[in-house]
Amino acid sequence: MSSELSKPSRSFATTGRSRKGEPLVWLTAAGLTLGVAMALGLFLLILIKGGASFWPRKIDVMEVTRNGGSEIIAGYVTQEKERKDPDGTFHKEIQVFRGNRDLSPEAFVYIDEKDIQSVSNPESLLLVERLEYGPAIVEPVALEADGKRIEASSGEFRSVLKAQLDSAKKIRADLLEIERKKIGKISRELEALGRAERSGSVPATEAAARRAELQKDFEKLQAQAAVIREKLAGSQFFGRSADGREVTFPIGNLLGVFASNEANFFERVGEMLHRMTSFLTEDPREANTEGGVFPAIFGTVTMTLVMSLFVTPFGVIAAIYLREYAKQGMLVKIVRISVNNLAGVPSIVFGVFGLAFFVYFVGGGIDQWLFADKLPTPTYGTPGILWASLTLSLLTLPVVIVATEEALSAVPRGVREAALACGASKWQAIQRVVLPASLPGILTGVILAMARGAGEVAPLMLVGVVKLAPSLPIDDIAPFVHPERKFMHLGFHIYDLGFQSPDAEAAKPVVYATALLLIVVVVALNLAAIIIRNRLKKRFAVSSF
Amino acid sequence: MKTPESSPIPDPKRFEVSRATLWFDRFMGWAICFGGIGVILAVFGIFYFIGKEVVPLFRSADVAPAGEVAQGANPAVLGVDEWGEMPFFYDGADKVVFVEVKSGQRRELVVPGLAGLEVTAFAYDTVHRRVAIGLADGRVGSFLVSYERNYTEDGNAPLEPSLVAEPWFQLENGEGPVTAISYGDSGGARVIAAKRGSGEADTVSILRLGMKKGLIGAGKLSLLGQTEISADLPAETTMLRSSQNGAMVLIACANGEVVYFMADAGGVSKRQSFRPFDGKPLRQMNFLFGGVSVVMTGADGSQEQWSLFRPEGEGERLFGETKKFDSLGEGAVLFAASQRNRTFLTGAGRELSIRHSTSGAVRWKGQADIVPVTALLDAKGAHFLIAAANGEVRRYSVHDHHPEAGWKAFFGKVWYEGGSKPVYQWQSTGGTDDFEPKLSLIPLIFGSLKGTAYALIFSIPVALLAAVFSAAYLSPDVKRVVKPTMEIMSSLPSVVLGFLAGLWLAPILEMRVPSVLMLVITLPLTALLAGYLWCRLPIGIRNRFSGGSEWLLVLPMLVLAGYAAWNFGPVLESWIFIYKDPATGKEVADFRLWWPQATGTSYEQRNSLVLGFMMGFAVIPVIFTIAEDALSNVPKNLTAAASALGANRWQVVWTVMLPVASSGIFSALMIGFGRAVGETMIMVMATGNTPLTEWNIFSGMRTLSANIAVELPEAPVGSTHYRTLFLGAVVLFAMTFVMNTIAEVLRQRLRERNKLV
Repeated sequence: MSSELSKPSRSFATTGRSRKGEPLVWLTAAGLTLGVAMALGLFLLILIKGGASFWPRKIDVMEVTRNGGSEIIAGYVTQEKERKDPDGTFHKEIQVFRGNRDLSPEAFVYIDEKDIQSVSNPESLLLVERLEYGPAIVEPVALEADGKRIEASSGEFRSVLKAQLDSAKKIRADLLEIERKKIGKISRELEALGRAERSGSVPATEAAARRAELQKDFEKLQAQAAVIREKLAGSQFFGRSADGREVTFPIGNLLGVFASNEANFFERVGEMLHRMTSFLTEDPREANTEGGVFPAIFGTVTMTLVMSLFVTPFGVIAAIYLREYAKQGMLVKIVRISVNNLAGVPSIVFGVFGLAFFVYFVGGGIDQWLFADKLPTPTYGTPGILWASLTLSLLTLPVVIVATEEALSAVPRGVREAALACGASKWQAIQRVVLPASLPGILTGVILAMARGAGEVAPLMLVGVVKLAPSLPIDDIAPFVHPERKFMHLGFHIYDLGFQSPDAEAAKPVVYATALLLIVVVVALNLAAIIIRNRLKKRFAVSSF
Repeated sequence: MKTPESSPIPDPKRFEVSRATLWFDRFMGWAICFGGIGVILAVFGIFYFIGKEVVPLFRSADVAPAGEVAQGANPAVLGVDEWGEMPFFYDGADKVVFVEVKSGQRRELVVPGLAGLEVTAFAYDTVHRRVAIGLADGRVGSFLVSYERNYTEDGNAPLEPSLVAEPWFQLENGEGPVTAISYGDSGGARVIAAKRGSGEADTVSILRLGMKKGLIGAGKLSLLGQTEISADLPAETTMLRSSQNGAMVLIACANGEVVYFMADAGGVSKRQSFRPFDGKPLRQMNFLFGGVSVVMTGADGSQEQWSLFRPEGEGERLFGETKKFDSLGEGAVLFAASQRNRTFLTGAGRELSIRHSTSGAVRWKGQADIVPVTALLDAKGAHFLIAAANGEVRRYSVHDHHPEAGWKAFFGKVWYEGGSKPVYQWQSTGGTDDFEPKLSLIPLIFGSLKGTAYALIFSIPVALLAAVFSAAYLSPDVKRVVKPTMEIMSSLPSVVLGFLAGLWLAPILEMRVPSVLMLVITLPLTALLAGYLWCRLPIGIRNRFSGGSEWLLVLPMLVLAGYAAWNFGPVLESWIFIYKDPATGKEVADFRLWWPQATGTSYEQRNSLVLGFMMGFAVIPVIFTIAEDALSNVPKNLTAAASALGANRWQVVWTVMLPVASSGIFSALMIGFGRAVGETMIMVMATGNTPLTEWNIFSGMRTLSANIAVELPEAPVGSTHYRTLFLGAVVLFAMTFVMNTIAEVLRQRLRERNKLV
């Protein structure tokens, strides 16, 4: 209701003497309250849960009576919940993450609060991030580096450990360089050679000679890698678990240590920031339940950008056609209904279409034409990031069309007529006057389309998303851009980790963090669109006459 | 008239536009029209390409002649290789005749070890390509026919047939020659049923065979035991049939009775005896692929399918009639079962037809130009052969890609093998090769509608109440913040909602159903009570708050009431929802146990209640936004007139705004429906994905959309399963398209009506 008219009625709105229907007014108010509370509550929930997954918690050492005996469990509390026994009594139960999956198979234990005898927080406990078996919670005993043994009690223990961890990190990077890049290059060349030989473009003798050469290179690289690996195995970390078992980790397997109970608030914040950065920049480890989500971020962003590259020109052209060129008759009316309708078509139907049309029809056609030598292994005739982008651009097309049309119709008629009166041709008027004036509106549409596209998962499951992609769609291997590759996506990551993962409990923190990230991206895009739209409204309010 | 020379003639060039501009203008005009129409075409391309994948499902089989062979051999046994290229004939002699279809070349191979023996009975098993033979001296045995393709240098790949004999077993009971035999083989367990003598004096024995696993090699076939079963047979035996699983034997008797025997490790036992055609004798009886169903043809040509199933209330699986097929005409009844699905070729006289047992549909019907006495479908189902008594053979190619599809299979009740009654069921893939796909879309459509219904039950009231308050009472400044908040809610990725529903909300609500029940009652009552009390407050206090702030005033009350209701839930549970353990008689207050006991339906953690609430996040903003627009656009002069006539603020809404905006609100509901029906990720993650057909709020469902998302990535391209999923997409598309079109038309009409007012 516009403000001018509702204002006078408001002055006696609540204070009117009539009580009739007043409870119903309050019922409608409760409806709005509930709606807004749901929206804000959900954001808050994700924010808290997602944020908490980064926060380093204190490690408790608990003495617990379990299964008749007494046991010492070290770990941090991840969840508190109520459980109801068959006899109807409520129990407070806590879920504790104790790590050390190499010592005991289940990393999470459920403890009834009644069974906890005592709790302490010894400062010496370390939370150790490892490449395998997830984190470990141990008390450091000693360090063996370059043949020297340094006891944990000595002052230089921490600094030597840190130096060792840093060098291990460097060595691992070297190893990755050799194994993935150089050896990968050789295997790619071998593959190409095999294809060329089969097609007859390279004679068999030449191919054999080259193959021998490559084999020699490969062996040389392998020897190099073995030397580096030797270096990694050199130093050891000795520790003791809370229940007194001795453990030894090769330093090469350790990613970092954090003395959780010793750290003060600022160190905790530092650790939290460190965890956030590694979440954003690292590759996933251990079936995606550890490590970061960088490939998923990269996949989501690339897919969304490529999608907007397709959807913007087509959506804008369609809208210009509908608004400026087509005769406003029955046909346009029907077309407009079907475009609006398209906005309501379930996203999974677009996925089905994308699979049938883009992947099998277009992609299969491209394979027949250009990649016949690789068949029956499909190159483009299989789900990939290009097809996913195209499918989503079709899905978001109505969003751009509707927004652009709205923006075009908001350009005052006078402006258009003035341009024509000055002698501009139709296209000139559109290009120089109408389009610049409606640019913010078009931008709003594109941003809304991106927000919709970034959050959509169901169609992607059919046209190109995978739980773990070995390589990114853009990298340093010629031809650098690989539109046929499968990709990872934040939304699918959530689904896959939460519902397909073998250890859903261990995956939960990553899932909440990923959900937070996705929501932040989507909400930011939406806010941007809303702000631009509001600016646009003001601008036209001034310029209309 | 002459123009004065002084007045300057405007230079005509002034009005000329540069040619390039004109060209460019025309070019852009074309380009935009082309682009615009292209986009619209692309939109309709969706219909086309999805439809294209679905159409083949409804095509019947194509059958075309593909060669003929004429030779003198008697086609008592007709078999063929898996490519349908080289049929063989056997008529009880010691030789097998092979004829190549293409060249007409004829070869004869001698059956090893059969020289000088008198064969009196034989039977053919197409799956293992085994000819079982019975001898005049009462011995039974078999030989296998196998083909090998030899790839040669010149690109030809001739087939090389060979024969392998298996050991003989002597029948201990009965007198005279073996007069009928049948062989069932599942690989490990095998069974032979054989009849000696004829007339009333016949004896029938069942032999159980087993492979003794040797340390090296395939092992040795040995006799586990033989049982004479003549005593269990009411009349002369006319037909013996053994099933593929090497355990079941069906024996048809002259009096029209069929007796079912089971051979297992413990021996042979009679399980059942039944009369398929009211005691009229059978003309033909054959197992279908899978060995669970038998197709029987009666004396009058009527054809029925009998399947093994566990009748309700019975412990044992017995044969019962499940389907009737179209009747056959006069003449010898042909029967050939497919080796890959439940298709079979049947016919009588010259009439031939290909039928499918699941849907009972006739896939193809035709006339043969010879009078066939035997017929055969090859292993790939790509060809069938028929042979006349004089040895003439006709070969036909069959193209039937989706025999199990059809309107009845998708939308009708079908009596599947193993089921005790016809049902709607979706189960597209199974663990074994002989799995019968169950492709009814009804449970999925039901699931979609159920999910939508529960989502809307919660969303509609909240969204509409919020829309009314926002449009009628909320101050514009607040509205500028509230509306975008709701809009952002609509763009929340549904995968996040689904994940929260499945992993966060479901475990919480699982134990708190009574609390939820209390919330549903308490919250609206609190709001109504708050309103009632509010207007009884002194006017001085009420004047301090401006209208439109009720939604904030009611918040603390709602929070308090909600907190109280949440904690009162367990108390309510201990009062009402008491489960009594039938075994111990102990009483427990637990809703999760109480519900199944009280209603007889199930209780699942991921249920419609969780789904309905979480779907609210996706559906409420959609309905809210559109309904709010419709209410806000009610012309101001109408509401102002109502106010001026003395209507209070509720009366303005109730009598003016709601009726005027009714079609807009209806269209909002339609679009909300569309959004809920097509929602995928929440449905996948929060519903448990079991295709049920019950309205129980505490059970899950499997929706069309979730089904596509889960199954399509694994369906082989072009298979019936793949195309059926596309059909699901078409159904989904059609549902939302109809709803959206109605909504859009209504909205346009509303816009025009408001213009007039």
